[in-house]
Amino acid sequence: MPADVPPVTGEEFRVLCEFLYRRTGMVFTEAKRYYVQRRVTERLQATGFTSYAHYFARLRADSGDEIEQLINAFTVNETYFYREEHQLRCLTSDLLRERIRTKPRGRPIRIWSVPCSTGEEPYSIAIWLLENWPEVDAYDIDIVGSDIDTQVLDAARAGVFGKRALMHLPPRLVNQYLEPLDGEQWRIVEDLRQSVSFSTVNLVEMAETRAHGRFDVIFCRNVLIYFDDASRRLAAENLYENLEPGGFICLGHAESMSRISPLFDVCRYADAIVYQRPMEGARG
Amino acid sequence: MAEDQKKRVLLVEDAGLVRMYYREALQGAGFDVDEALNGIEALEKLLTAPVDLLIVDVNMPQMDGLTFIRTLRRQTPAIASIPVLITSTESSPQDIHAARIAGANFYLTKPVGQEQLVLHARILSGCVA
Repeated sequence: MPADVPPVTGEEFRVLCEFLYRRTGMVFTEAKRYYVQRRVTERLQATGFTSYAHYFARLRADSGDEIEQLINAFTVNETYFYREEHQLRCLTSDLLRERIRTKPRGRPIRIWSVPCSTGEEPYSIAIWLLENWPEVDAYDIDIVGSDIDTQVLDAARAGVFGKRALMHLPPRLVNQYLEPLDGEQWRIVEDLRQSVSFSTVNLVEMAETRAHGRFDVIFCRNVLIYFDDASRRLAAENLYENLEPGGFICLGHAESMSRISPLFDVCRYADAIVYQRPMEGARG
Repeated sequence: MAEDQKKRVLLVEDAGLVRMYYREALQGAGFDVDEALNGIEALEKLLTAPVDLLIVDVNMPQMDGLTFIRTLRRQTPAIASIPVLITSTESSPQDIHAARIAGANFYLTKPVGQEQLVLHARILSGCVA
């Protein structure tokens, strides 16, 4: 840690965690003190503050985009293409088949990747559909990637990725759907970039989630683990409202909706366990 | 297809994913593929570079597929005589009839498999097998 930024005191740590919780639903315990310290120190250095009190005053005044920058610093953005491929297999072999069975003609298929980080997941979904879903031309497909972090969204829109992000994507697909920029980076081809839209969302803010409308399938992987029970339940209830009746939500492999909310039905398919919003009238 | 015999296809389709899906199949089969997002853009492209086959979606913004075909058939003979393959999610006899009346040569209902698309593109563009 640089000499000009002192370590946070217990009270400062509490204030900061309370602020982050209220804004994002993310919970940081004492065990995460170093993680929190490192990121808030970066923000103090970037803004020129040397005291936490003054920095917090600026946050409270909500001036400039510092709240956004601070939240950006606390989000985790580790992902890659074709991560948890078994869920993508489940999407085309079971979930979409189920959804189009009851879908009125002419209605689009809507898929939401939230949080989408730098875009690996929504672009993976688009590529997977092109490669594995023979009905891809028969529906208007609306793929939306959303995240609370505005910086990762800018990166997602740019669609530029390095080797690490592409390590699980077969070379044939890299050649087909990305164009090389140099030896180290590739950019998603324009048609594919245009086929995915990106937006900001905070999962615990109902007004923000509602504004995205309803989806047939939601991929919400490895974010609810950062929330405490109350925020997790609130996010789950918001996500429920974002699903069409009969729509599905896929969580990360270590997550279980059954522990969070009783609203969803558990569905076990050959490739994945997913959660379904019951059809209207299916429950009393 | 040999390089000098490559048939040129103009894909008129507003959905980016569908354009990619069809383009992949057609290029893989040796076609030269150009693209337009609607009928107006397609007409503009044809004025500068005629093609051997048009593959046209019906529901598109600005100028839909059937209006495009009717306009196409009123152009100079070199352009007006280009064969048109319609690909559409509409499958009723009335829709197919309307496309024929507008001047479509063939009508495929979506989903159109990549092999099926290539087969019809070959036949309609006059490919030598």
